[in-house]
Amino acid sequence: MSTSALAPAVMSDSMRDTANTQPVLRVQALEKSFAKRSVLCGIDWVVPTGRVIGLLGRNGAGKTTLLRCLLGLSPIDSGHIELFGAPMIEPGGERMHRIGFVPQTFDLFPWMKVRAYLDFTAAFYTQWNHSLVARLLGDWQLDPKQKIGELSQGQRQKLAIVRAIAPEPDLLVLDEPVASLDPQARRAFMVELLELMRAPGKTVIFSTHITADLERADADIALLRDGRIQFTRPLAELRERIRRVVFTRAEGWTQTPAAAGLLKATLAGNEAQLLVEDPIIENLHALATQQGASLRIETPTLEDLFVELA
Amino acid sequence: MSAVRQLWMQLWRRMPTLVVLANLLWLGALGMAVYSLRGEHDLIYISASLIGFGSWFWHLGQGQTLRGLCRPESFLLPYFRRRLLWLGALDVTQWVLLPALLAMALGVPHVTLIASCLVLVAAIGLATGGNRLASLMIWPFFVLAGWMPQLASQILRTAVDSLLTAPLLLLIAALILRLTLRPMLRIDDQEPDVSPLESTSLGRMNTRTSDGSPARRTALGKRIAALFDQTSQRAMDRALARYRHHPTALQRMVLVRRLLLPHDNPEGIALRLALVATFVTIYFFAITHRQHFNAVSVGAYAILLTMTRFPQLGMGMLRMRPNLADLYLTLAPQTRAEYQKTLADALLVLVPISVLTALAYTALGAVLVHAIAPERMLLTAVIVAAASSLVALGIHLIGPEGTFGRGVVNIVLIFGSMGVYWGGYWLLGAIGYAFGSGLLAVITLSFGIGVWLAAQHEYQRRPPCFDAPLG
Repeated sequence: MSTSALAPAVMSDSMRDTANTQPVLRVQALEKSFAKRSVLCGIDWVVPTGRVIGLLGRNGAGKTTLLRCLLGLSPIDSGHIELFGAPMIEPGGERMHRIGFVPQTFDLFPWMKVRAYLDFTAAFYTQWNHSLVARLLGDWQLDPKQKIGELSQGQRQKLAIVRAIAPEPDLLVLDEPVASLDPQARRAFMVELLELMRAPGKTVIFSTHITADLERADADIALLRDGRIQFTRPLAELRERIRRVVFTRAEGWTQTPAAAGLLKATLAGNEAQLLVEDPIIENLHALATQQGASLRIETPTLEDLFVELA
Repeated sequence: MSAVRQLWMQLWRRMPTLVVLANLLWLGALGMAVYSLRGEHDLIYISASLIGFGSWFWHLGQGQTLRGLCRPESFLLPYFRRRLLWLGALDVTQWVLLPALLAMALGVPHVTLIASCLVLVAAIGLATGGNRLASLMIWPFFVLAGWMPQLASQILRTAVDSLLTAPLLLLIAALILRLTLRPMLRIDDQEPDVSPLESTSLGRMNTRTSDGSPARRTALGKRIAALFDQTSQRAMDRALARYRHHPTALQRMVLVRRLLLPHDNPEGIALRLALVATFVTIYFFAITHRQHFNAVSVGAYAILLTMTRFPQLGMGMLRMRPNLADLYLTLAPQTRAEYQKTLADALLVLVPISVLTALAYTALGAVLVHAIAPERMLLTAVIVAAASSLVALGIHLIGPEGTFGRGVVNIVLIFGSMGVYWGGYWLLGAIGYAFGSGLLAVITLSFGIGVWLAAQHEYQRRPPCFDAPLG
């Protein structure tokens, strides 16, 4: 069962109001392959201004590739990318002041000291929040005199985050930013991220496997699968509209019960677990009676949804 | 301007010694030029040479620094390219405009030509530091000049008086700069890493630059790398099949070797030798018309080529450390010393490989230079390569971890081996092949084996380290 029922909603209804303003990002028919292995297969995606977008996808789905392509850090095979209303052929121009990026692994300039690296970077930006940098270096226990090459992976990740948010960018792109962080640092990072998002017109796109962070940020969820964005929807809407329906009967199941809005079905033992969009409860009860099964309706967590749909 | 200053400071931060040296040369050159006003006009030529060397050093460093800085992520920095352009303008001001203006003020003739030469020197320096392939393209000019020196000097004399020379030099400089900077400023997908212990490049240069960024490969480099990878895959498949058939300790060792040194399989070695032979032959025929090489120098060069493998090994072992934990768990040794012994034994295969390599390179050299005593060269090469490889392997197993210490060790090892080759070759000539080779073997091999055994013992005594190297 595919998620095609969700697919047409590249932007859901509830997002349209926000998207009436200029979208921060518009992608059309983006294709990218590595050595004949197709990774992104005609991606169409619109990201409205002022939202936190959680990009979900399984390992190897192409999240990093997509994020790097969006910023012009990886050449694309075909398609069109618009960032802040202008084509993104290569990174450059005034809009670079408005973009922050945290790569998946930070292995840049190991010979530089933390302070020298931040000074170097700050020199390029018209806006740089020095007090924020000083505070974060202190709070996150980053020694400005230490060389980047001597930092642990988690510390490098922290440094990359500091560097990315210091110019107070309008678009923050984070590629698994919290993967190497301890829970305290992860929480502190989320606090900073939400603080940043309080200012108007700020957009965040971040890929992560830690769905709890997306829930905390009340993010819109974009699912990347089979080289395409399957859907982009607010988390609340997903929660509201999607239910896990469990039919149980002693003799088990050979066929999936036919329910309207079915997204995915799993038959396991005496249970038939269905992921259903906009279920009509009366119809489900009728179906349960017809199949001689008991019915249980649950609200899936985001992690459940990810496991089922990704 | 703050960003440009930061860019300019990178070279000071990374290579302070080179910067001081280059700037001292710059100051010295300018000082000499001013001093020449007192009537010592010859000082102008020394001044020009000094500024040329200073510029070459400076831009060599700039090339290396830029290669490290120009990573895809750097292009997200606002106006990064424009700031690089400003840096270039600063460079031109210091290394071309100011000296040229001073020369003009002093009434030195051919100021335009001098300025063009300075631009060309800067471009060559940048290419040497930033893009090895671009720098290689400069050598044919020197080769041709050496091939026909009379014609070259005639062209030079005519060129000095020609109005077209300066624009031509500027055009060449522009071409070199384009070839150097274009790959740096282009955003490419990152190439997958090869084993840190291996390198497909002929000179056994690092697969990564000194700052840790993966070296950019040319289309030819990618094809060669793919060929090496195919040989590695086939060798690994064969080793696996043999191990499944006969799961002996020896087959296990071969598997570990295939994992650690994927390109050091028979096919890979043959491919490497063939590639080196091709390039050396082309190079040799390009310059053979102007020089008659001393056969001993060629033999010593073959030893140098052979020994350049070991610095890569030393650095690779450091970089491999975190990944070796996986190998440790896979091998599940009874003791830590057993694991260390497995590694040391697996790497010992580099000694016969090095001997074979030295033998092949020496044989090729002997044929190319029509050596009078090729057997003497080969005999010396075998003994010296065996002993030197044992010493190098041993020292790199337990040697210093710091860049400086490793650098010193590498220089001592490489030049020491070349010196021993020279001495050995003389010894064979002085007291005869039988006695000479016997004596050389006793001295060098006993030293080599002694160092290897001591190093191996020390390596086994040490607990394995799986920490990533700092810095």
